[in-house]
Amino acid sequence: MHIYAFGSICRGEVDLASDIDLLAVVQGRDSRFDPETFSIYGYERIKAIWQEGSPFAWHLSLEARLLHASDGLDFLRELGKPARYTRSDLDCAKFRSIFGAAYSAIKEGSHSRVFELSSIFLAVRNIATCFSLGVLQRPDFSRRSALRLEGDSLAIESEIFELIERARILSTRGHGTLLSDAEIGNVLARLDLIESWMDRLVAKAYRLRHE
Amino acid sequence: MSEFQNRIEAQRQVLAIVNTSGLRVELLGLSAKSLERWASANFVTKDDAIFGKLTEISGSLFFLATKSQEQITEDYSLLSHKVSALMNELRDLMCNVVESR
Repeated sequence: MHIYAFGSICRGEVDLASDIDLLAVVQGRDSRFDPETFSIYGYERIKAIWQEGSPFAWHLSLEARLLHASDGLDFLRELGKPARYTRSDLDCAKFRSIFGAAYSAIKEGSHSRVFELSSIFLAVRNIATCFSLGVLQRPDFSRRSALRLEGDSLAIESEIFELIERARILSTRGHGTLLSDAEIGNVLARLDLIESWMDRLVAKAYRLRHE
Repeated sequence: MSEFQNRIEAQRQVLAIVNTSGLRVELLGLSAKSLERWASANFVTKDDAIFGKLTEISGSLFFLATKSQEQITEDYSLLSHKVSALMNELRDLMCNVVESR
């Protein structure tokens, strides 16, 4: 059994919205770990994502810190670097599609607007992460990766970004102040801009893969 | 559509069932904390069948509701027929809850 911390706490990015990301690598099923608290992976699955070069493997490779090892070894370090990440065009397109589904649901009068904005935050964050890793070769796994892509950054007001981040925290952790109708309206007024930004990232990732 | 997207769609459908039922406060997500917040605001107790059903569905879709980074890896089991069946049961329960209030 190996236990790691990863995520914002390892980057020193701590605020009231931060949670603590914990990874448990276990043999078979291990009911001691609460899946609400830990991301639980088997050893073979970790090796597989290393071979795939998935963004999560890169995230762990670059940020995870060992908390406990039953054999005294740092399992993730022993694996070396993950394979090169080559699917950024496909992953960017996937997160663009997730954004599109959420945006469509809102346009169609969804009664779950906080959830839809939460999905939009997930799409924005993850498309930026995949782009930073696969296209820019400067991986950024932070919640604000979309604002740190230099010339490809998402150009929206920080208040708008904080509103969709708040929706994400409300939806996933049940914590925070509900968004008012006015705040939701302000976010909705920026969704076309976010959509255009995502389309640009998808196009760049596609060109990189196919040129 | 990827398995991950299917799971988001499943969550969307579950929330639609709950949030169009006429209860006062919107359900924001299927994490344990979000469910507790929703239940408390709508005077639904943990003993109510509706809470149990939502918790059961949440368990089936858990990774979708809580984590974001590792979702990139598609590390999920297939969305089973079980979730569809649970959603049908949820619809019936929501009707009963709203009618009884």
